[in-house]
Amino acid sequence: MDKLNIIQKTVMGLVITTMVFSVVVPLLFFLSIAFSSDVEMTKFPKPLIPTFTVTVKIAPAEDDQYEVFHDRGDGYRSIITTGNPTRLENHFRRQYSVRVPGEQLLKDFSKTRIYGPMEFQYRKDFFHNFKQFFAIVNNSIPALKNSVLVSVYTILISLSIGSVAGYAMARYSFKFKDFINVTLLIVRMFPVVGISIPMAILLIKFGLFDTLLGLALLYSVPNIALTAWITSSIFIGINKELEEASLIFGANSFQTFMRITLPLAFPALTASSMYAFLTAWNDTISALILTNKNQTLALVVYKAIGTTSSGIQYAAAGSIILILPALVFTFIVRKYVNQMWGGVEL
Amino acid sequence: MSKLKLANSNKTGLPNTDIFKKKQIDLKRVFSKKAIPYLLLLPAFIYYAIFWLAPVFAGVAEVFTDVNGQFTLTGNFKLMMHSDLFDKAVMNTALFAAVSVMIQYFIALLLAVLLSRKFRGAKLFMFIAMIPMAITPTAVAILWKTGLIKEGWINSLLMFLHIIKEPIVFLNAEGLAAVFLIILIDTWTVTPSVMIILLAGLQGMQRELKEAAYTFGANKWRIFVDITLPILKPSIITSIILRLIAAIQVWAIAVMVLGFNKVPFLVERIAFYVDAVPGVATSEKLAFTFSFTTTVIVFMVTIIYLKFAKRNTKIGGSS
Repeated sequence: MDKLNIIQKTVMGLVITTMVFSVVVPLLFFLSIAFSSDVEMTKFPKPLIPTFTVTVKIAPAEDDQYEVFHDRGDGYRSIITTGNPTRLENHFRRQYSVRVPGEQLLKDFSKTRIYGPMEFQYRKDFFHNFKQFFAIVNNSIPALKNSVLVSVYTILISLSIGSVAGYAMARYSFKFKDFINVTLLIVRMFPVVGISIPMAILLIKFGLFDTLLGLALLYSVPNIALTAWITSSIFIGINKELEEASLIFGANSFQTFMRITLPLAFPALTASSMYAFLTAWNDTISALILTNKNQTLALVVYKAIGTTSSGIQYAAAGSIILILPALVFTFIVRKYVNQMWGGVEL
Repeated sequence: MSKLKLANSNKTGLPNTDIFKKKQIDLKRVFSKKAIPYLLLLPAFIYYAIFWLAPVFAGVAEVFTDVNGQFTLTGNFKLMMHSDLFDKAVMNTALFAAVSVMIQYFIALLLAVLLSRKFRGAKLFMFIAMIPMAITPTAVAILWKTGLIKEGWINSLLMFLHIIKEPIVFLNAEGLAAVFLIILIDTWTVTPSVMIILLAGLQGMQRELKEAAYTFGANKWRIFVDITLPILKPSIITSIILRLIAAIQVWAIAVMVLGFNKVPFLVERIAFYVDAVPGVATSEKLAFTFSFTTTVIVFMVTIIYLKFAKRNTKIGGSS
C-alpha cells in the first residue's frame, strides 16, 4: 500500500503539474502585461515573458528628419517621421517605455546619414508602467499613503481592544461567556456591506465621513472579534503557572502582563495585526461607500480600470503594488487563514 | 514548589489578629475577580454598541422609512423588487453561490484525494496553491481582465496551443455565459485554497484506519465513502458555509471585468447605486434595502454555520 505503482505516480505528477500550471501561467502572463509597453499591448499573441529591450529601424528623411519603423509582429512599418527631439522623446517614452533624451536619440540616429537605414536597440524602462500608474491615475500617490495609514489605524484599534477581550475570554469564566462567544462570531461574519452603508450616516454625524479614521473604525468591526479569537486561542496555550510564578516573585499584574504574557502572545498579536492589515488593504466596497476624496489604493485601482481596456497595463502595474504586501502577509498568517476557512491546523 | 511552601507557611504562621484583615482582602479579590473579565470586555462592548449596533439599527430604520421619512413596512422592498435587474441579481447570486461552491468543492476534493500522499516538493506546491486566494480581489479582477480582452493572454494561449484560430471576444458574454465566466474566475481563485484545507484534513487522518479497512477487504471507493468523507465532513461543511457567505457577497470581479449591469449580483447592485447613480434619494434607499437584504441572507447562512461550527470556533472554551 505504501509503494505507489507507476500509474499512480504518473497520475499524481500530472495532477500536480496541471495545477501548478493553471495557477502560474495566468500569473506569469499578468506579470508580463504589467511590464509591457504601449506598443507591446497591441501585439498579439502576447509573450509569456516580458521583453527588456525594443528594436526600431531608423531611416534618414529630408529636412533633418528621421523615419521610425517598428515591427509589431507583421514586419516593419513606418510609425512617425520627425526631427523634433521632444516629439521623438515622447514617442519613445509613450510607445516603447524607453526613457532616452531626444537629443541623444537624434545623435544616435545621425549615424544613418552615413550608413543608411539601421536598426537600433534600446533598453526599456522596466518600471515605466508603475511610474505611469502614479503619474496618470488621479490620487494614486495619496491613495497608497491612505491605504497604509488606514491599515495602521485598523491594526491599532483592533489590537488594543481585541487582545484585551481575547485575554478575558481565555483567562476567566463568567456569566454570558457563551453569549459573548456567539456575538463575537456573528460580528466576525457580518457582511461588511451590511454595515458600511448605515455606517456612512453615523460617520457623517461624527464628522468622520471620507476620513481615514472613519474607514479604520469600520474595518475594525470584524477585526476586533477576530483578534479576540486569535489571541484567546494563544492565551489559553500560555501556561497560567508562569504568570502566577511571576506574581509570587513580586511582580505586579501589569509587570507580569508586560514581561511574561505579552512576549508569549506576540505571535498571536502579529497574526492579528496582519489580518487587520489585510482587511483594510484588500477592501474595495467599503472604501467605495465611505470615502469620496480620501480613496484607498484598492479603490483607485478599481476606478482605474473603468470599463474600457485601454491603458490596462497601468492598472495591472498598480495592482502588482496592491498584491505584494497582501501576498506576503497572507503567507505569514496562512495557518490562521486555513483555520478560518474551516480547515484543520497545518 | 515555592508556591506550595508559601501557602503552607501562611496557613500555619498567621496570627489571630490578621484574620479580619485577610477576610477583607479576600472579599476585595473575589469582587474584582468577578469584575475583571467584564472590565476587559468593556472596550469591545462600547465599540460594538457604537460602531456596530448603532449602524445596524440606523440601517434598519432607513429600510422601514420612505424617502420623505415616513414609516413604511414594505415600500422600500417594493421599490427594490421593481428596480431594474432585481430578479436577475437574485437569480445570479443564487446561481453563482450554488454552482461555484459545487464546482470548487468537487474539484478540490478530487485533487485532495489524488494528492493525499506525501510527495516531493509538497511545501512549494502548497505555497503556489495559496497564491490565488492571497491576491487582492481587485487585482484578481484585473488579472483576468488582461486575459479576457480580445488581445489578452487567454486568446494568446489558446492560439499558441492551436485550440482556436480566431481570438474570442469574451467580454461580450451575456446572461448565463457571463455568470459562468465569473464562476470560472472565482474557481481559479478559490479551488486551490479549498484543496489545501481538505488536504490538511486528509493528511491528519490516521493511517491505521485506512490500513485496517484494507485488511478487512474494503475497496478504495468504500474507504473514500466510509472513512475519508466522514473524517473530512466537519471541515467540508464549515468551509462550504463560509464559502457560501463569501460567494453571496461577490461583486468586484463582475463589475471590473464586465462592467455594471452586465452580470447583476446583490452586492453589485449596492455598488451600482452607490458608485454609478449616487446622490439620488431613491438610489440611496435602494442601496440600504439591498444591503439589508444581503445581510439578512448572510445572517441566515451564518446561523446555519453556528450550528455546525460550535467546536471549531468557540473561543476560550465555554463557561
